[in-house]
Amino acid sequence: MPESADPKAGAYFDAWHGGVVDTMIGMPASSAERNTKHYAQMNAGILDKEAREKFTFPAQYMFKDVPDYGEVDDPVALLLAEMDRFNITRGMINVATNEVARAAAANHPDRFIASFNADPNRGMDCVRELEIAVKELGVRSAQVFPAGLLPQVPINDKKLYPLYAKCVELDIPIFVNAGVPGPRVPMACQDVAHIDEVCWFFPDLKFVMRHGAEPWTRLAAKLMLKWPNLYYSTSAFAPKHYPADIVHFANTRGADKMIYAGYFPMGLSLERIFSELPSVPFRDHVWPKFLRENAERILGLETA
Amino acid sequence: MSAEAFDAALAGGAIDTATGIPKSREEMFEFYEFIRKQTRDAESKAGEGGLEFPAGYMFKDPVHIEADELGDPVEFLLGEMDRHGITKVITNVDDGGNGARAVRDHPDRFAAGIGVDPNEGMEAVRRISRIADEFDLKSVSAFPAGLYPQVAVNDKKFYPIYAKCVELDITFATTIGVPGPRIPFAPQDVAHIDEVCWFFPDLRFVMRHGAEPWADLAVKLMLKWPNLYYSTTAFAPKYYPEDIIRYANTRGADKIIWSGYFPAGLTYDRIFSELPSVPFKDEVWPKFLRENAIKAFKLDQ
Repeated sequence: MPESADPKAGAYFDAWHGGVVDTMIGMPASSAERNTKHYAQMNAGILDKEAREKFTFPAQYMFKDVPDYGEVDDPVALLLAEMDRFNITRGMINVATNEVARAAAANHPDRFIASFNADPNRGMDCVRELEIAVKELGVRSAQVFPAGLLPQVPINDKKLYPLYAKCVELDIPIFVNAGVPGPRVPMACQDVAHIDEVCWFFPDLKFVMRHGAEPWTRLAAKLMLKWPNLYYSTSAFAPKHYPADIVHFANTRGADKMIYAGYFPMGLSLERIFSELPSVPFRDHVWPKFLRENAERILGLETA
Repeated sequence: MSAEAFDAALAGGAIDTATGIPKSREEMFEFYEFIRKQTRDAESKAGEGGLEFPAGYMFKDPVHIEADELGDPVEFLLGEMDRHGITKVITNVDDGGNGARAVRDHPDRFAAGIGVDPNEGMEAVRRISRIADEFDLKSVSAFPAGLYPQVAVNDKKFYPIYAKCVELDITFATTIGVPGPRIPFAPQDVAHIDEVCWFFPDLRFVMRHGAEPWADLAVKLMLKWPNLYYSTTAFAPKYYPEDIIRYANTRGADKIIWSGYFPAGLTYDRIFSELPSVPFKDEVWPKFLRENAIKAFKLDQ
């Protein structure tokens, strides 16, 4: 990106002023609540002592300054205020297992995009619930964390196939963690190579990678070139650590494939993300697509 | 066991859950090209040495209907049904016209089924939905070893199809056990069924074509999974596996469903001449000939 005399000028800031869609954001919760509720299943699959006993967040060793709130009175107000501070017009939140998020999505449909976190171990119950959530709660996407499931479910496992089929039928994208997971659980189920078979069998499925795809980012780029409906979102990565392969792909043939996602409040503050973002060497035309337009297109927000 | 019990049950009507609309000998030969293309042995490939029908080595006097004796195939089949006391059959409506016509013109005698190829992916799923909109679809079936490429019963490619069957409350039926045609048997191993019944507890799953030589496992699994059934397709009654007969006579009276193999490999004359000699207990017969088919395929709804 060329140096600019005015640090607030340039393609990044032009795009940012138009508003940001964050495809991964969550309700702030007290640290106690998040350990007992949100990470309970994850922790059940973790065997090492340090992670079990000392981490308040299962991937804690990867992050500096994980956001922490002692007590949270009004998580929705807190989140909306943070979003306003950084010009995030809409944030995608999981409403499947979070009552607060469900209410927030219902009360602020202009600010929140409802997503449904699915557990394919639950078979047809999960498929049915997804369909109801889309039809009755306005859910616009499904999401799966293969390594965080108990038992884990590989991205190309048969248990996920009814869910993929339902996403195709409902015409919603699915966001899936890919690459070595941060929490100390086995990585095999999130191998980026698994995605190839899924994109082949479900050519109409809009599949969005989450959480980096590392260290297989070259393969991730290769597969995005091969499969028209495969995308990448930057969740859980501080902008200074965006993989070079991904930035390169965005700047060459992949501008329509890159979707911004943060990781607040799970592991990154929005302050850190938005202080680092302007330094990402995206070419000018990439920024509006990355910050907003690609997400709007695949989530069907253009007509909303 | 008595012939009277069989006669009394048959008087109430028999239901065949897998009947094809008859085709001429030439048409049948053409139809089996999908199997021949996967065979490697010279006899099967050429359709010679008794293999005009790819599983022909297993059958004495396979069905042959010459073109000039067929007439209207639907009327031909109705004549066969009437002659033997068959009140209703499930037949595929995706066979190019006659099956759909039979179901439309004679809804009291024909129920709709379709065959699916999971290699088609979501297109197969969409076809199920489409045909279920058009017909009162009762059966979705597959021939895993005969698909190209073959697809195992527990393969992921089948899962969206199973899910759709559950969603639409339609019964799934599949050939299982070593297939007659000289192609590999692995995709039809009865053991594969266990996982499918576990993951889809609401799926009504009907085995076809014998489950041999794993009939003992088939019985064990039927005991374990409430929605798993067995139908006697492709087996002449004198060859019904002993395990299956014993199960029908003990805890499995509600699980074993009569079906024939017409016009593919067995005439109804042969089937109904052998049936009375099957050593079923008296109370099994009405369930076997009719009632279990109604329950497993929801034919009364």
